[in-house]
Amino acid sequence: MTANLAGDVKISYADLPPQAPSGSVPVLLLHGFGSSFDMNWRATGWPRALESAGRRVIGPDLRGHGGSDKPTDSGLYLPEHFVADLLRLLDELGLGSVDVVGYSMGSRLAWALALTAPERVRRVVLGGFGPVDALAGLGEHEPGAGDTPFDHVFRAVSGLPGNDPEALAACARGQAADPFTVEPGPEGVPLLLVAGAKDTVAEGAADLAGSRESAFVEIPGRDHANAVSSRVFKQAVVDFLAD
Amino acid sequence: MAEENITFTLPDLGEGLVEATVLEWQVAVGDVIGRNDPLVEVETTKSAVVIPSPKAGRVVELHAEEETVVPVGDPLVTFAVEVAEAPRAGIVGKVPTEEATPRRRVRLKPPTD
Repeated sequence: MTANLAGDVKISYADLPPQAPSGSVPVLLLHGFGSSFDMNWRATGWPRALESAGRRVIGPDLRGHGGSDKPTDSGLYLPEHFVADLLRLLDELGLGSVDVVGYSMGSRLAWALALTAPERVRRVVLGGFGPVDALAGLGEHEPGAGDTPFDHVFRAVSGLPGNDPEALAACARGQAADPFTVEPGPEGVPLLLVAGAKDTVAEGAADLAGSRESAFVEIPGRDHANAVSSRVFKQAVVDFLAD
Repeated sequence: MAEENITFTLPDLGEGLVEATVLEWQVAVGDVIGRNDPLVEVETTKSAVVIPSPKAGRVVELHAEEETVVPVGDPLVTFAVEVAEAPRAGIVGKVPTEEATPRRRVRLKPPTD
């Protein structure tokens, strides 16, 4: 685990080698809101699954999260800032193109990265993500004060050790200020969507996959919190990203 | 090589968590697995995690059904692991300094890489 300066906000990231070199492009893992690389991906067994498939894993803590800097100005959490962080990280590592796997907010950012710099992204997996604006109505109350699926997520993560509720609230507002839209979508970048069958945050994921002529994998019995660690999810991703 | 059975209990998952629900076993009885291979997927009130195997060995018994709640410290899985035989005296007058005692060890935390 190393930390490097990538622009105005310090970004911490993991760079994990494959078990055996395969020549495949590295896999960039983008965690969800209020989580971190360690919590979202490492603890759920993802590096192991990808490394044993011969993949190098790049796992940043997104700004406002984990070991990265946590500004409290919501203007610094517009999607374009996350995308700029990721492009600087790829530049710093000398990586031309990567596969990107996102979960929840990380999926939204994976989409934004592929839209901004399609030449840097080979394939994209959107996990735990749907086209419904999870942050709709955020302007009317403090994050976590309502009863939307996002409020539940906010309450669950804001008390986790290492999280700064003020930075997370700023992050939620920054994301809400520039809502996700299905059009325009990234062109020429194959997509895979994966979500738990009981994931209310990812509502509409199958429709989004249909509109992008992409595959959708539903994980039986899983919700937004426990779909990430699923073996079905990992296998679908390893297969989709295989050369 | 002799075999010894070792039981692994649900480790302390931190943050004051006292129990976890077994979501899905990643191994079955009879499987021979390596250290750090995925063992079991569990969920706490905070998150879902995959616990890696603390040992290389053969799975002898799974102590918890999927969808059941296991308190921290309760048995999860029993492995048969290979243990070295007691060392013999060397040929050139080298005497083992201590008895090889196959100790029973229960790891309370999963290994970290």
